[in-house]
Order: sequence, then C-alpha cells, then structure tokens
Amino acid sequence: MRYHPMSIAFRIYQFIKNSIFIILLLFLLRRESEFWLFEYGRYAFIGIFILRVIYLIVAWFIEKYEWKDRAFHIQKGVFVKHASTVPFSRIQNVTRKTTAFHKLLGLTSLTFETARDGQDDAIHFEVLTKKDADFLIDLVQPGKQEEQSFVALESDSIDTEMKVDKEPNNETERLERTVVFNPERKDLWKASFTSLSFLAIIPIVFGAIEYVQPFLPEADEVEGLLQLVLHSKWLIAVIIMLAVLIAVGFGVGRTFIRYGKYEISASKTHIYIDRGVLNESFFAIEKRRIQGLEMEQTFLKRIFGLAEVKLISSANPNQPEGGVNVNSLYPFLPINQAYKLIETVLPEYNLNIELKRLPRKSLLVKLLRPSWLWIIATVLLVYFKPDILNLEQAWWMVSLLLLLIIIIQRVLDYIHTRYAISLDQVQWWQGGLTSRMFVTKRKNIIEMKYSQTRLQKYFEVSSITTMNRSNPPHVESITDIPTPFALEMKDWYFKRTEDVELNS
Amino acid sequence: MEYKKLEHTLSPSFPKIKLISDTIINLVGLLVVVGLFWLYDYFSWPTWAFWILMFLIVFSILGCIWSFIEPTLLYRSWSYQYDHNYLQISFGIMKKQWITIPMTKIQAVSTIQGPIMQRFNTRSIKIETMGSAHTIPALEESIALQLREDLAEYAKLKEVDE
Repeated sequence: MRYHPMSIAFRIYQFIKNSIFIILLLFLLRRESEFWLFEYGRYAFIGIFILRVIYLIVAWFIEKYEWKDRAFHIQKGVFVKHASTVPFSRIQNVTRKTTAFHKLLGLTSLTFETARDGQDDAIHFEVLTKKDADFLIDLVQPGKQEEQSFVALESDSIDTEMKVDKEPNNETERLERTVVFNPERKDLWKASFTSLSFLAIIPIVFGAIEYVQPFLPEADEVEGLLQLVLHSKWLIAVIIMLAVLIAVGFGVGRTFIRYGKYEISASKTHIYIDRGVLNESFFAIEKRRIQGLEMEQTFLKRIFGLAEVKLISSANPNQPEGGVNVNSLYPFLPINQAYKLIETVLPEYNLNIELKRLPRKSLLVKLLRPSWLWIIATVLLVYFKPDILNLEQAWWMVSLLLLLIIIIQRVLDYIHTRYAISLDQVQWWQGGLTSRMFVTKRKNIIEMKYSQTRLQKYFEVSSITTMNRSNPPHVESITDIPTPFALEMKDWYFKRTEDVELNS
Repeated sequence: MEYKKLEHTLSPSFPKIKLISDTIINLVGLLVVVGLFWLYDYFSWPTWAFWILMFLIVFSILGCIWSFIEPTLLYRSWSYQYDHNYLQISFGIMKKQWITIPMTKIQAVSTIQGPIMQRFNTRSIKIETMGSAHTIPALEESIALQLREDLAEYAKLKEVDE
C-alpha cells in the first residue's frame, strides 16, 4: 500500500521548514549581494530544491507498506532499496501526533516504536487520515493480538460455549480506558511559575532583536530614545512592568498550550497520554514494558508541592520534536496526586512502605568527602584571581560561595535520602536541591553494584548502584547507606530468581 | 559487618603481566614527553608550554611509580565467583566494588589474549550484558576457557518477557 499522497506535501513543507534560515539569507536578507557564495548559492539551492521534490515524488511511488501475518512489511529507498519486516509484537509504544500542518488538512501522523537497538527502528506514517490511524492503532494493539491467538486456540478445542461466555468480558476489560488524570487550572498556574517558562522569552527576544537589527533605525537614534527613557523614572517603571507582564503572560500561555489539554488514562494493559492544544499527540505504552518509576522534584517544584513522574521503559525514549519527553507522565503533578496516580495506574508498585532515614554518621561522611569541583575551582581562582564586578577580593568570595552551595547540597541530600526494600521492590529518595524518587521491581534490575571507598569503610557505610533496562541503560545510585543494609540488599538481590520465569 | 571475599582469584602472574604492559605504555609516554621537550626547545615555544610540559613530566613520573605498586594491590583486591544464577566480581584499591550480574542477563562472553598474556599462558575474559561490559583480567588459560564455557552454558537460559 502506498502512503497518503499528502506525505509528499508534508515532506516538502519539512524541507522548507528545515532550510528556512538559508532561504531567508539567500533570497531576502542578502538578496542584493553579489558575493559569489550567495550568487551561486541561490542557483544551487533552487537546483537542490527541484531535485528534492522530484526525489520525493519518485519515492512516493516506490515506498510502500503492507501488513501480513501480524507484521508490517516496509519498503524504503529509491537508490538503495531497504526492505524490513516488523512483527506487531515488537511494537512497544504508539505515538500519534497532529501538528498544525496536519490539523489544517484534517490529517494526522503515527509512529510505532520498537525495542530494537539501532537507528531505523521506528515505523513512521508521516501523513495519514484519522480513520487509517485509528485502524492501524487498533490493528497492532498487543492486547488484541493475544486475544486473537487465544480465540484461535480455543476454537480448535471442542469447548465452544465457554469461549463465547468468556470473550466479551475479556475484550471490554482489556480495552476499557479509564481517565486517571486531567490537570486543573490551579495546577497549571503553579506549573507556569515552577517551570520558569516565562524566562523562555529572553532568548526569543534576543533572537528577535538580532533578526530585526538590519531594519532598525540608526544606532544614534536608538541611543537618543534610550536617553529619553532613562531620564524619566516613570517611563522606566512602566516599561519594566510591561516587560514583566509580557514575560509572565508568555510563560503562562506557553504552559497552557503545552500542558493545558492533557489526559492520562489507563486500561488493563496500557497507559495512554493524550495531550496538546496546537500540536495534538497521542501516546500509548504497554504496562509490562515499564521497568521502573522515577519522581523528580526541583527546588521550585518542592515549594509548590509538585513533582514530575517519569517512566523507565525498555522502549526507545525517542524524543519527538516539540521537546516534551514521552516518558514523562506529567511534569507538574501535585505530589499526593502523583502517588495516587501511580497506585491506580500501576497497582503492583506499592509506595506506602515506610522509608528509613540515614544515620547521623552518613552526614559526616557526606561532609568529609573532598569535593573535586571545589578544589579545582579554588585552585583556578587563586591562580587567575579574576576581577568580578570590579572587586579585587572576588576570588575568595566566589570560592566561599561555591563551598557554601556544595555544603547545602550535601546537607539537603542527607535530609532527603530515605530508602526501603520490600519483598520484591526497592524504593529510595535522594538528591540535594533537586530530589528524586526511584522505585523498581527486583526482577527488573539487571545488574547491582555495591561500592565502598576508604572513607566509607571507616564509617561503615556503602553505596549501591542499580541498572535497569532502557536505552541507554538506566543507572541509579544511593550513597552512604549503612553497610548492614547494603549486605541485606545483596542477599535480597540473590533471591531474584524467585521472581523471574525462565524460558526453557 | 563486612563484605565477604569471593571464591576465585586472578592468575598469580597478573601483577607481572600488568607491570610489563604498563611499563611499555609508560616508556612510550615518556618518549612522547621528551619529544615534546625537544620540540619546545627547537621551535622556542612560549613559556606557558614549558609549564604544561613540566606538569606532564611530573604526572608521568608519578604514574611510573604508581605502576610499580598498583599491580600487586589490584591483584589482591580482585576476586570473582559464579554459580548457576549469578556472576559476582569484586575489585578496587581506593574504592572497592562488588558487582552482581544475573546469568540470564549475560549476552556475550569472549576471551582475549595479547602477546604478553600469551607468554604467561593467561587469558582475560570479557563479559557483555544488556547494559554494560566487564573484563576479568588474566586468568590461567585452562581456567579462563572453562569459565567461558560455563558462563555460556548458564547464560543460555533467558527470562520470559524479554
């Protein structure tokens, strides 16, 4: 089957979008220039553009996809032919994105990601109709796949009545999606401030200034205007007020557009995320691919009582354009709601276990550990003695400030560190200014490392590092926990064989 | 409470092998630094280059001294142990580490032998897992081959869900 004909238009649009700077430079800003680079550059660009369009049209005729025996068969490439087969069972998550381009035409795009390592491992449908997208998503649903094989097996056996009885139940149970989270207006306001997204206006403004510089009046005139403004305190106040208002408005707007329409829902086997106001996207991940969970709280988020919940999954955390990480459930969840969400979506994770705190001696270890960053920075500062803000003494102040920050960071880390293991689960909080919670199941840990420096040995504490399957592997560690606990955890990990099932 | 030492140790010839190979590397490094000094003199490079070269030479001399002490300490710190379910390795002089790897997560095992190792009849074993790679340096040839066979055998089983 061929792809949707509009994919040609989409690819041309993308080509133009990606080379927008070159186009502006060649045909607008330097349109008068007779410098050879620009002169020939214009012809070269037009040539490349025409070739590209021809290529895309030819490619559309050649590139095909089809599905047979529960697998996609894909043909790619004009000069170098590339055929691949992707079984539905390899598909780990589904992302559906509707950008402004798609919205305009009432179409959408679809990506199936697989767990294979390598570059070209996802199946993209750049443009397709909404109906086709629904159909394809429905087609690859792993839940359904098992269902079908199950049905096939059952029909072989004599007992048909049983099947009829069982099937509809299973079907509805599997595919039923319950909404578990919708952001509230209040949370979005908090989110706009914690994300500091209003600061995002600064680079945009600077970019814009640079961009319009050639069109601005002469520098002298601007200077005159500046003098005028500086002389009136009134005017300055108004301008600052306006600037703050614009920045905040911009930040709030950005957050609302990004996270305003957001819905997390779950079925028995999958987690779904629908989000976006301008660029809509849909994301689905199979629950059994989840290797662990992370919760992150930056300093600002802690003040507002928010946290970000992230999934550690064995699927590729392929970051699509737009920058919102697909492995993040929602970056601004109120903390108790975050716990509740995890409980409902992933009931096998139990977060109500009482966590232990570090003993006093761990704080001592943390404070006594030499900070290489501080030592190197101080040596450099002593040697160069830079003048900062015309202060000759600045070097020792900076060094002291850095030391203070490092100490605060370490004390906070001591306060935040809490840990516990239960029957088949390990959970801990740690971190200084930004603190993080990590929880995983014993069977999902693929490697354990225990370590002890001389200093730690003296105080009888150790560090533990775990590794989870992900791409790249997810490494997590907790430092300065009492050695008896580390040994207990070592024994605990040896019992891992109880949790896993082996293929014979 | 203490961590226990694991069952097996490296080949007793490991310190010698390491010392020889380290010395070769150090000699090459020293030659490079001397060459740079000559260049500095010949092309009359600026003074700051002199300080960088001094730093390099002090650093490599300290490295040479360390390379005489390190092999024995490392040999004493290294140990490993394995059974049907787990491979454990342990090493480290200043910072001691214990690593536990489930057999089911081992993906490839290979033996490596350089010319110096050949002279001492030893091989090192490289173990690749889903997330990392570890090398057990210098085991006696028969032990290394046996270990490779055993690991390959035990790692054959894979978990459901992969």
